[in-house]
Amino acid sequence: MMRLRRLPALLVIGALLSAVPAGAARPIAHREVLPNGIVLLVAERPAVPIVVVRVFAHAGAVLDPPDRAGLANLTGALLTRGTGKHTGPELDSAIEFVGGSLSAGAGRDGLTASLAVLRKDLGLGLDLLGEVLLTPTFPADELKRKAAQIQAAIKRSEEDPGTVGGRALAKLVFPNHPYGVPVEGTVESVGRLTRDDVVRFHGAYVRPDTTIIAVVGAITVDDARREIVARFGGWKAPPESPPTVPPATPGATPRSETIEKELTQATILFGRQAIRQTDPDYFPLTVASYVLGGGSASRLYSRVREEGGLAYAVYSYVNPARYGASFSASAQTRTAEVPKVIDIMREELARMTREPVTERELKLAKEYLIGSFPLRLDTSSKVADFVVAVESQGLGLDYADRYKERVAKVTAADVQRVAAKYFAPDTFNRVVVGAPKP
Amino acid sequence: MRFSLVATLLLLLAAGGAAAQSGERVLATTLDNGLRVLLLEDHRSPIVSFQMWYRVGSRNEARGATGIAHFLEHMMFKGTPTYGQGQFARLVEQNGGQDNAFTSQDVTSYYVNIAADRIDLVIDLESDRMQNLKLDAKDIASEREVVIEERRTRTEDDPGGFLGEEVGSIAFRSHPYGAPIIGFMEDIKRITPEEIRAFYKTYYMPNNAILVAVGDFKAPEVLGKIRAKFGKIPKGPAPPPVLAVEPQQNGERRVLLTKQAQLPIVYLGYHVPNQKSADAFPLEMLSSILSEGRASRLYKRLVYERQIALEAGGDYNYFSQDPNLFWFWATPMPGQTPESMEKALLAEMETLKNEPVTDEELQRAKNQVEAAFVFQEDSVHRRAALLARFELIGGYTEKDRFVERLRSVTAADVQRVARTYFADDKKNIGVLLPRP
Repeated sequence: MMRLRRLPALLVIGALLSAVPAGAARPIAHREVLPNGIVLLVAERPAVPIVVVRVFAHAGAVLDPPDRAGLANLTGALLTRGTGKHTGPELDSAIEFVGGSLSAGAGRDGLTASLAVLRKDLGLGLDLLGEVLLTPTFPADELKRKAAQIQAAIKRSEEDPGTVGGRALAKLVFPNHPYGVPVEGTVESVGRLTRDDVVRFHGAYVRPDTTIIAVVGAITVDDARREIVARFGGWKAPPESPPTVPPATPGATPRSETIEKELTQATILFGRQAIRQTDPDYFPLTVASYVLGGGSASRLYSRVREEGGLAYAVYSYVNPARYGASFSASAQTRTAEVPKVIDIMREELARMTREPVTERELKLAKEYLIGSFPLRLDTSSKVADFVVAVESQGLGLDYADRYKERVAKVTAADVQRVAAKYFAPDTFNRVVVGAPKP
Repeated sequence: MRFSLVATLLLLLAAGGAAAQSGERVLATTLDNGLRVLLLEDHRSPIVSFQMWYRVGSRNEARGATGIAHFLEHMMFKGTPTYGQGQFARLVEQNGGQDNAFTSQDVTSYYVNIAADRIDLVIDLESDRMQNLKLDAKDIASEREVVIEERRTRTEDDPGGFLGEEVGSIAFRSHPYGAPIIGFMEDIKRITPEEIRAFYKTYYMPNNAILVAVGDFKAPEVLGKIRAKFGKIPKGPAPPPVLAVEPQQNGERRVLLTKQAQLPIVYLGYHVPNQKSADAFPLEMLSSILSEGRASRLYKRLVYERQIALEAGGDYNYFSQDPNLFWFWATPMPGQTPESMEKALLAEMETLKNEPVTDEELQRAKNQVEAAFVFQEDSVHRRAALLARFELIGGYTEKDRFVERLRSVTAADVQRVARTYFADDKKNIGVLLPRP
């Protein structure tokens, strides 16, 4: 039972790559492409006898057919619910009996299966991991059960103002792109999904030539290659080419929306499309976002929380993904102060475009973004997530080093120039969840 | 987090909850002023997790001043004469570090995770704020509003938090565990700067704190630096002990709430002993058997097989300083009533009392706990937190005993504790009915 002083930074920032600093001298992982197209990444961390494996397929919610929102999510959730050899409960018992975990799920860009086991149980864990990816059976009763659970979870999430606001904002920011549709779908769309949909989705999109496998922990590259090839070497891609997804295009005129709820506090969200790491302006944008609302010394934190006492949570962040990016700012405040907080947020966004950040602010942001790098890679799970993210977004395993160089070069003029492009208050969509009047 | 009340504890046990790697070379010492220091070298990454654990939480609060420990935790970031407002966060960030803090019923904990070569800065900052906090009335006034907003997020506007607070309140008549950690709204609004200053003076002193650091440093060298900074702080008078002993519960207690929500929630709490009792080990095993993973009993029976719950679990806090509650919770699926959910939970209690858990269930739980100990070794932050947790209940070496004792738990032990503590007339039950 805990009460945190503020939200953990990673939770808030969400996307791993939104603030990936750098500094590793040697490559963070070994990389090779297996004959069937699987990209294998291995990072040896011998000290603790555990192994973490991530299998990432480019089979995310971006590939959901327009009337089948939630299909990737349901497919991911069903992978562990039955295979050619084991029922769902048998899979659960087998992995949990050795104190390990095996799970699968989908996000916007990809579907991920994750394994964590003690080194001594790696053979068992990889056998199960191979089964769930290659021979899932998608039993009808499991589909019915899982769909009902997802629908109930969607219904319950209507209680959470952050989730409600986030969904509404995504729709406004990405009106013509799958990123505007919730990964989990809606109660209605999930109700329409059939076993055929799931089987087809898995068959077409979970395929070796778009799959990344990261193995991190107490294992050598040679052992990892042998173990992975033994389970995944014979996996063949379907004859059709992998699908393509169009990048997000800028939305229409920014809009505002108020969602009424019986709450004592209102959640305010500002959001718009931004740029991803392949755009050189991404690095000044990251610095700008950090100065505006990245940490406990940021402008929004200082004005809204420290000086104003108006909010517990207030922050801004860049959220890059494979097919597009967004920049958001958010705060939760008592109903009566909503107009005041909106004014402060707009004013601080505008000030970033109007005047250069101070040398002190610039220095702090850069030193934090670069210097906190080792903390982001201090466990096997974090390393696995990082290498998968870098590979899946096509950034290269040296991304961390380039990030460091690029951030170090950012000037106050760069920050102002990029802020002028992306921080103009009138270019933001806005969502408020809460009571409309005090 | 949905079940903020209980889920965090579960996480603690699932993620950090154990770790009997004997032979850990902990440099343990107590300075002349009473500060307990635990240092563990871990050279895998060039980082350190530096943690200060004060033996003060909502457990130490008086009626009418609930939430003061947590309020003070917020104030610990508001500056000293040396490092003014905002300096703590700025210096930590400027050095690439991450910091945060939390308040629980029993402790207030502060951590900084940072590059190992910046440890001097952290020693300086933490030793400074142990005794030199400004606690300006103006800063307190503005932070009060922040804490109020935090309470709105976690309690007023969160159905799970809202119900959890009510169930805690009915379960405890005398012991301060019945009050919410964040404090009642009325108390947060009322607490005066004088009270916060007095609370700080009473509890923030070297002889009421544990310093734990794990990371890429040389322990004797760091100990020297700690002595130089913290050693100067005078020992204080021993803080007053918590005297309250919760009286025996003589009948069922129940609270029914109606709130705008989508699904009902059912909470169930039973008074149980803490780690000072031998029953703590079977209770810990029971918690794992009931809730750890998809093969665990409540998930398998209520969520998977019967499909009546969206979520269900149980949780026991082995580390609690005083006897506390064993919690159960469940969220009914749409179409299910809270009444049927409550019945289903109680039926599971009866099964636990009437039939021993299977060998497989017991062995799985033991394997899960042992594996969790190995997994947590991967993180310096979790290693440090675990040392502190065990130190708080008698000594970091208790870790070793913990796993040994868990290994020896039998199915008969589990059945016995279920019979002893899950009595029908001893339950505290809370139901939240959704209003659209």
